[in-house]
Amino acid sequence: MNLFKIIYSGKDQYLDLAESMVKKIIEEKGRDAQVKFPSTAYSLPVIYAITGEKISTTGELEKALELAKEFIHEGNRLQDALDAGTASAMLAEIIEAVKYTMEEEPYKAPLQGHLTDAQIRAFGVPLVTQDIPGVAVIIGKCKDSETAAEIIKDYQAKGLLTFMVGEVIDQAIEQNVKMGIDLRVIPLGYEIESVIHVVSVAIRASLIFGAVEPGDFEAHKKYTKDRVKAFVNVFDDWDDKIIAAGAAAIELGFPAVTETFINEVPTLLLHQPNNEKVVETSLEVRNIKIKVTKIDIPVGVASAFEGERIRKND
Amino acid sequence: MSHEVLEFDGISTGLLEKGKADGAETIWDRQAAMKAKCGFGDKGICCRICAMGPCRISPVEGKGAQRGLCGATADTIVARNFARMVCGGASAHSDHARDIAHVMHIANKEGNYKVKDVGKLMNLAKEWGVNTDDREPNDIAHEIAEIALNEFGKPFGVQRLLVRAPEQRQKIWKDLKIEPRAIDREIATLMHSTHIGCASDAESILDLCMRTSLADGWGGSWIGTELSDIMFGVPTARGTEANLGVIEENMVNIMVHGHDPSFSEMVVLAAEDPELLALAKEMGAAGINLVGMCCTGNEVTMRHGVKIAGNFYQQELAIMTGAMEAVMVDVQCIFPALAKLADVYHTQFISTSPKAKMEGSIYIEFEEDHALDICKKIVRGAVENFKNRDKEKVMIPEAKNSAVVGYSVETVIQHLDKVVNSQTDVFNTVKPLSDVIWAGVLRGAVGIVGCNNPQVEHDKSHITIMKELIKNDIIVVTTGCAAQAAAKAGLMTMEAKELCGRGLKEVCERVGIPPILHMGSCVDISRILDIVSRVAIERGLDNSDLPVTGVAPEWMSEKAVSIGTYVVSSGINTYLGVTPQVTGSEYFVDLLTNKLEEKVGAKFIFEEDPVECARLMMEDIEAKRDKLGI
Repeated sequence: MNLFKIIYSGKDQYLDLAESMVKKIIEEKGRDAQVKFPSTAYSLPVIYAITGEKISTTGELEKALELAKEFIHEGNRLQDALDAGTASAMLAEIIEAVKYTMEEEPYKAPLQGHLTDAQIRAFGVPLVTQDIPGVAVIIGKCKDSETAAEIIKDYQAKGLLTFMVGEVIDQAIEQNVKMGIDLRVIPLGYEIESVIHVVSVAIRASLIFGAVEPGDFEAHKKYTKDRVKAFVNVFDDWDDKIIAAGAAAIELGFPAVTETFINEVPTLLLHQPNNEKVVETSLEVRNIKIKVTKIDIPVGVASAFEGERIRKND
Repeated sequence: MSHEVLEFDGISTGLLEKGKADGAETIWDRQAAMKAKCGFGDKGICCRICAMGPCRISPVEGKGAQRGLCGATADTIVARNFARMVCGGASAHSDHARDIAHVMHIANKEGNYKVKDVGKLMNLAKEWGVNTDDREPNDIAHEIAEIALNEFGKPFGVQRLLVRAPEQRQKIWKDLKIEPRAIDREIATLMHSTHIGCASDAESILDLCMRTSLADGWGGSWIGTELSDIMFGVPTARGTEANLGVIEENMVNIMVHGHDPSFSEMVVLAAEDPELLALAKEMGAAGINLVGMCCTGNEVTMRHGVKIAGNFYQQELAIMTGAMEAVMVDVQCIFPALAKLADVYHTQFISTSPKAKMEGSIYIEFEEDHALDICKKIVRGAVENFKNRDKEKVMIPEAKNSAVVGYSVETVIQHLDKVVNSQTDVFNTVKPLSDVIWAGVLRGAVGIVGCNNPQVEHDKSHITIMKELIKNDIIVVTTGCAAQAAAKAGLMTMEAKELCGRGLKEVCERVGIPPILHMGSCVDISRILDIVSRVAIERGLDNSDLPVTGVAPEWMSEKAVSIGTYVVSSGINTYLGVTPQVTGSEYFVDLLTNKLEEKVGAKFIFEEDPVECARLMMEDIEAKRDKLGI
């Protein structure tokens, strides 16, 4: 298993998709149509933070593709592989930006898709002060819904913010896991590209709360690594695109834990086949220490439940 | 005075000029006096093993003498000369180890020598089937020492430590009939085979060379390291400083030079003696400054952080600072020239080993039974000599660098434990290292060892190769004078991670290590065999499958020949930055650099240009990776 080749293959898939989508949107809407995510001052935030460039029209998406391609150089050094991850993240953001240009509301409730600046500001301060002790990003599909719910609730009970990508969302719904930004459980979308919306959260934390200059990627990486205690859990089989996204996460300082075997990289990429240990593995690898005083009552107690609304029917 | 070989060393020039004014003669003066080298010796086609000779073979095929008087061809003569270098090297390492075993055998609670690492003793006792129940450590040590001593001359069986190799490797040795039996036996047998009228088949001589060298790496050297750790402690990470700038103007400077830690350990104790420290103050010195040189310097820096004055080529320069009260030496790699040089200054040049009495030296025999007293006596003499220092003749270069040293296999594994996730993995293994290599974060690992040699610019090849490799995400482990070159160059600092590629940099940061790991002295190359074999075993592979190589960029000694040969025989491609004296036989060169690979999965590569050498090693490593599909 050549890990770097897997990453390059994933990156190629993002590139193919991004190129065809940009081509399509230009054909459909011309070069001057406005490109933006809803309610953000940071254009395409990931690309803006990395390169300092604001992309605002469909025509400029071609430039965005070129910016991403600058990170593509398939060598056999770690930096080459991590750069492929960065390129993948930029390409995923382009793909998502096209979705938001194609339709008004590409993500419909309960899916969240893009988060607005206001939404980020709502939990941003506790996130970077680590009152929210960490951010779990769950990708894929757990072996059954019960397991999915258990893991999500475990993170929730520990006060973490949990983002979901893929079929795990349906599993959570099936188990009546209550979701929403207030509850710190956020279903992003079904396609892997939607994971960029959580990357966008981390990078905007760096732009907003860290006041890091757009274009100073090194400083952004340092901020996200030091201040945003995020990590990734991948359930079921991973594919090359997930691993390429994982390389992007690693570049930002976020380790990944996979259920299916992958060549491990200590502290960065771990294989944990035992679902019962995935939470502890993740917290340890991201160095998240939670002091919990367990109160023995029949319902979950955590700051994550602070914003919960009790509806009439409940 | 211009010395091409010193161009890379910014600090020596001034010292050499001063030395000339002082009337000092150095290796470079002698090199100049030597003029052109003898072409026959250089090619290995001069034979002096019997009194019918000397014979020399014409280097041109079909022209001039093609055989010696006995009929030996260039192939035979080159092979025999090479073999005797292996014997010389293996004997030096092994006799060193034997001394440590003897010291272990006299270990007792009240004496100078006692078991320091009981854990390592117990592990070895278990491996060697020694009963430990209700026994006092020194008592167990005596039995272990006796078993170790028998490894040198036991009548039957093979070396005990071979079982630490991957099974595939052990099978190769068995099938080739090169499993080393008793250490001394292999050396004697090879001396026998290279006698006039004995072995003349070059290939079979090379097989015997491999067996003898394996008796060194997997016998003498490894026993030396193992027992040294038990007696003097397993090295742990610690800070030190290196280069001639560690010599202190206001202190009594004593240099310990040579190889045997049972000697240098006592020197360390003696130099810390409160009575002698008080005496030093009385003499007007701020204290006693013990500094190390060559492998004994490595031994004491690994275990005590004793500062490193320099490596092989700097031994004369250290005296030429004019600030060295005493140079205490035991065995191996000590220039006989030091005696005459010391006379130019106030320096006391003290030889201590009956195996290495040095002409013109003050000889104070080192006897293990009252080791500390003897060392104190020598140190006292040095302290009293402080008053004789001629201040006019003192010139200490300001150059020195800090270094972190002490990376035994045990310490490396302890550091690796820092990155182990307790939920997914177990502690105390080399898995994290093998994982990062398999993932490609590190492309591979290279062991850089060996000497200095005035045939090449001093330290340049060491440093150039090291920098090239770490820049390309290859971790470097090093011993001997190569390690000291790295320490002097500042490559053994945590900050050196900035010279690395991203992968190695991440590893350094996360594991908390410098990119170049000092694993000790030349016998401690066994530590490198150990860690490579552990990774191979972890992956169920042979050493020759791994993306690792060895290199001796500036080698000079017979020990280096034995080392290179056992590293190749252990399945690791070995690069030589100085071409050995074998080029008079194309056939033997082909054996070393080509055919050996079919036999043991590894070979020698001769490459004198350090940049090209690094490039070839990286290519080699990538080829191994491709083969593994990683």
